[in-house]
Amino acid sequence: MLRELHMMFARPLYLFASVGVMVLSTLFFLTLMRAGSAENMPVAVVDLDQTTISRRLIHEMQATPSVDIQLVTNCYPEAREAMQKGQIYGIFVIREGFYRDLVAFKRPQLDFYVTNAYTVGGNTAYKQMLTMVNLVSGAFQREVLRKKGMTDEVIMHRIQPIAIEGHMVANPWGNYSVYLVSTVLPGILGLICLMLTIFAIGFELKSRTSHAWLRAAGGNYTVAMIGKLIPYTVMYLILGISCHFMLYNYAGFPVYGSHARLLFGLLLFIFAMEALGITLIGLLPTLRDALSVAALYSMLGFSLSGFTYPQMSMLAPVKAITYLEPLRHYYLIYVNEALMAAPVQNSLPNMLALTAFMLASLCVAPRLHRALVYQNYPLK
Amino acid sequence: MWQNFVDEIKRIFRDPGVVLIFIVATLIYPLIYKTIYWNEQITDVPVAVVDLSNSSESRAFLHKWNATPDVKLCYQCTSMAEAEQLLRDQKVHGIIYIPRDFASQLADPFGKAHISLYCDMSSFLYMKAIYLSCNQLMLESMRTVQIDRYQQMGIDKEFAWALVQDAPYTETALFTPTGGYGSFLIPAVLVMILHQTLFFGICMLGGTAREENIDRYSFRSLFGRAGAYFVVYYTLAAIVLGFYPRLLDIPHIGSIGDILLFNVPLILSIIFFSLCVSVFIRNRESGLVLLISSSLIFLFMAGISWPKEMIPDPWWYLACCIPYTWGAHGFIHMNSMGASLAITGNEYIALWILTGVYMLIACALFYAKKHYFTRATI
Repeated sequence: MLRELHMMFARPLYLFASVGVMVLSTLFFLTLMRAGSAENMPVAVVDLDQTTISRRLIHEMQATPSVDIQLVTNCYPEAREAMQKGQIYGIFVIREGFYRDLVAFKRPQLDFYVTNAYTVGGNTAYKQMLTMVNLVSGAFQREVLRKKGMTDEVIMHRIQPIAIEGHMVANPWGNYSVYLVSTVLPGILGLICLMLTIFAIGFELKSRTSHAWLRAAGGNYTVAMIGKLIPYTVMYLILGISCHFMLYNYAGFPVYGSHARLLFGLLLFIFAMEALGITLIGLLPTLRDALSVAALYSMLGFSLSGFTYPQMSMLAPVKAITYLEPLRHYYLIYVNEALMAAPVQNSLPNMLALTAFMLASLCVAPRLHRALVYQNYPLK
Repeated sequence: MWQNFVDEIKRIFRDPGVVLIFIVATLIYPLIYKTIYWNEQITDVPVAVVDLSNSSESRAFLHKWNATPDVKLCYQCTSMAEAEQLLRDQKVHGIIYIPRDFASQLADPFGKAHISLYCDMSSFLYMKAIYLSCNQLMLESMRTVQIDRYQQMGIDKEFAWALVQDAPYTETALFTPTGGYGSFLIPAVLVMILHQTLFFGICMLGGTAREENIDRYSFRSLFGRAGAYFVVYYTLAAIVLGFYPRLLDIPHIGSIGDILLFNVPLILSIIFFSLCVSVFIRNRESGLVLLISSSLIFLFMAGISWPKEMIPDPWWYLACCIPYTWGAHGFIHMNSMGASLAITGNEYIALWILTGVYMLIACALFYAKKHYFTRATI
């Protein structure tokens, strides 16, 4: 263990890579989505009618705080080009003859277009434009009914006889960053654990120093492994615990269930990622192969964990593979503990699954031990 | 320079690790992502129903909602507590609650009926599916109710329609008609795969050469190597950005010729950017952790999944220095939105500028390395 501590500090890379990347990512993700939810996406209005009423309408829309009109034009291709340049996310078209039809009660038509090439931007613009349409239509109904001598309150019930109350469970602000950062940051930490574990063991093989390492442990594989991993584990745990407090105490992300169990889940996840590292280097005792495979495998974890695109919509074989990603299990523990405040038995299967990753690493022990003793794998 | 070029090509193909990253990962990864996002849409999100009204009106509403592709009403609960239990157990991702007075409020000409929706926020797409489809249906049912009420007031049906639909509208989703998640994300991922594999591969080759103590810091070596990477990656980029969207059936309405032209500064800027970074890589494996976590940061910083208008300025300026940012936006504009190269001019020019700047920095770094640090221990 002392030997490892010495090696760790001899190579500043270890410290920089893990602490630096973690601090940088935390800083990045917490500041990136400061606002939490997207608002005021720029849109364009194409005014083909060019009458006083269409202009007044545009003025009214410009005065609405949730609508950001970047461009007013009378030429559709111009708006389309602005969209292709990525300047706007939606186009609102007032057709020619809008005013004429409106006064003749001919129900003038409005059109709007949103881009689907950017999901969040497009969706937000869509919501904004719905607001704009309702503004138009509500205003008109109100005018007619007022002339019939109705009070505003009665009118409101006429205009909206049904209302939906939306409740966003455990995230009443619809905050995008809450569930995203809560999964991405531990995910990055897990990635560091995985890579560094492989690196620490694989480097002994690569530099042919595994004999010295085993000697330092009195020739005992278990002692050698534990001694090597303790300093790293301590570092990961410190990072993990600080990450937990950053998110749920400092940044104030909600935890409706048990802090302790969520943190316990994170620790299990860290151990599981370390164990996965041992398994991979055990199966492929060549440093670069193990690292490349680990990199490709763990990057998929972010998609497969299902925190953006839900697992239920994946194909059956892909669904099965998601269970092989420790991040998937951590994400489910997070959902259970932080968002759903579910009883412990809901997270238990996932905690057991993470434990299974640790047990799996024991299976490669004989193979890895042989590799350390005989150094019978190519250097490159 | 020619010799350096040939050497580097040999080096790439002789190194199984680099072949794995450069060629296998670049060509296989897009297929994996396509498989993960195969279904594009999320459909039949399970929802629990708490219908205290239990009237013909509420049943009709629920029946219609169940018929939409977005949700599946799979549990009838008698109380909220029961439904909440289902949500906690993740058996459902939403709850619809219809209060007892739903039908009577609708019947009352001055009444207002309420519906409550509870959405699981563990993934944004659940909320989108549940909330939008219910909202759409609500607007539809609302119109029928409104017309009934206006008729009761003695307004004739024709005029009531005009009132309710005073400003009817059409909505059109442009560019990716299905609005699928994969159609949106995969183009950005394709550019990311090219960017990161090239970045990673170059750092790996640089690290190996340093381990082997090969001096490769002459300008001839710089341009010879850049040429070798360009030949390999331009071909890969033509496949991944030109051919794969067609093969994988994701939106592709751009002109192939324009995309091929756009690829030139895209690949060049990534090469020189990576060469700059590779100078600091001490051995083959060491930069890996950094590179891997940089993928996620690059992706979010570029303002693809999180709109660029919402990115804080300092991060956005940093993002502008990364070829990926311009490459991804440019590729999405051309491939998914059918923009011509002329319209994508900003991104195209920015990539050329990055190419020039990183080339100069790479020259300076190589020069410094050769003349001042050659004998530094490794």
